Amino acid sequence: MTAVAQARPKPPSGLRRNVALLLAALVVGWAALTIDIRLGAILEVPGGLARIFGLMFLGKGPEWSYLGRAVEAMVESIWIAWIGTVIGAILSLPVGFFGAKNVSSGLISNVVRLFLNAIRAFPEIVLAIAIFIPIAGLGPVAGALAIGIHSIGTLGKLTAEVIEGIDPGPVEATRAVGGRPLQIQRWGVLPQVLPEIVAFWLYRFEINIRAAAVLGVVGAGGIGFVLSQAIAFARYDRAATAILVVVIATIMVDTVSGRVRRRIIEGAEARAVSEVEQPEVLVPSRP
Amino acid sequence: MTAAAPARTSRPVKPRRSMAIPIGLAVFVVITWLALSEQFGIGFDLVALIEDIARGRGILAELLSPNWSFVPRTAEPMIETVQIAILGAVIGCSIALPVSFLASRVTARNRGVLGVTRTVLSVVRAIPDILWALLFVAAVGIGVLPGILALVFFNIGVVVKLLSETIDGVDSGPIEAARASGANGFQSVRWAVLPQVLPNYVAYSLYAFELNIRASTVLGVVGAGGIGNMLFTQYRFFNWSNVSVIVIELFVLVILIELVSIQLRRRLV
Repeated sequence: MTAVAQARPKPPSGLRRNVALLLAALVVGWAALTIDIRLGAILEVPGGLARIFGLMFLGKGPEWSYLGRAVEAMVESIWIAWIGTVIGAILSLPVGFFGAKNVSSGLISNVVRLFLNAIRAFPEIVLAIAIFIPIAGLGPVAGALAIGIHSIGTLGKLTAEVIEGIDPGPVEATRAVGGRPLQIQRWGVLPQVLPEIVAFWLYRFEINIRAAAVLGVVGAGGIGFVLSQAIAFARYDRAATAILVVVIATIMVDTVSGRVRRRIIEGAEARAVSEVEQPEVLVPSRP
Repeated sequence: MTAAAPARTSRPVKPRRSMAIPIGLAVFVVITWLALSEQFGIGFDLVALIEDIARGRGILAELLSPNWSFVPRTAEPMIETVQIAILGAVIGCSIALPVSFLASRVTARNRGVLGVTRTVLSVVRAIPDILWALLFVAAVGIGVLPGILALVFFNIGVVVKLLSETIDGVDSGPIEAARASGANGFQSVRWAVLPQVLPNYVAYSLYAFELNIRASTVLGVVGAGGIGNMLFTQYRFFNWSNVSVIVIELFVLVILIELVSIQLRRRLV
């Protein structure tokens, strides 16, 4: 007995970790060695970046007369992002209820989750190219639809997860006073989850601004078109103006949206006595 | 006791209704109306859209009959897409680790450093992946290299944001202990902060890798390598049944990578 007690505990086996690291190193090594890059091209990167930066901001500088056109296109991108988010929000709310195990049945929620995963697998640009530009034609409407459908995937998943984390008390209370199924959802579930879900919508809007800024590259409206044209015709002075507009507009939207989100979540914490999900849930997709 | 009795029977005062919700709703309605309208916004017309669905039926039918003989030609760009995602993730996440410590209040003691790092990062994050790709294609020419560079910046944006927020929330006990036993700034980060956030870092990196797979599929649209280039070409020549094949392959690839990544993340965290 005493001998056993005095023996030093064995360090935990690092075998599995080492195997995992080795596998990861092999995969990375394969990618690095087989990819089609000339070594010389890597050495040219700093020079190329300096050249482009010079053409954009140092030579003729950003072309300020182009500012009006760039702002107009960015505003269109913001509208695209907003409508896409609204479409995603409206459609994902009921879908989220069906995707939550505690509200719908196990089978239905699994089917809905599978469907949401499938939607999320398609990037907005792919949705725009393969479905919405053929239907709605080139232009901002196709972009808004692509963003909207893609947003259903993420928003539906997050909504379902929030609903699964609710306090069952209010649901039981609503049922006990005779609430019908729809009334239970409306008065027992919705008030508990709405602040967080609205915060998700705003967060998604921030992400969608970025998506809408690039959809123009494939002809789906917004500033992406202006930018890709400027670069295609080597008008780097105009590209610089457009990029400045994208960066400033995005940071402005982020700031406003972030403030509103914080206000919504903190308001929710003040009202609910039980613990509210931490805002870190706003970080997307941590299973 | 007697003084408290009447207070107990009186009705509790109803809290005043907050104006935040009606104001928020009004703002929502106005913005949505502006965005939908023809003259200010994008001119979203549901009726026209439904008519368009009828018009697009031919294309949709072609999309639903994928041309499977096209599959072999997609193999090479598909592999290239995965390679771009892997290399972009590895390089980007490696750079993101040290930068995260400069972007957290806990580990960046110097306010100036913190401010500069955060400002630069918010600019990096404000530029979407494809715009990075456009810029790098302009700088170094078309190919996989601009794709990888674009993803590197994209990853730095994502991982530093997530990780620096995690670092902000670490337990300060180990840091105090390290300092008390004489550790300098670097040592306390290495032995008191890093072990706390390492599992999160790995999880965020895997998450970033998933995003990379999605992003690298479309980088080719602007000439930054991978399957996106082929997708865009087929789309421009209206080869819908080939577009369909690529989209299906992308779907399978993204789902597969996600399944693997989720399994790994579960084991790690």
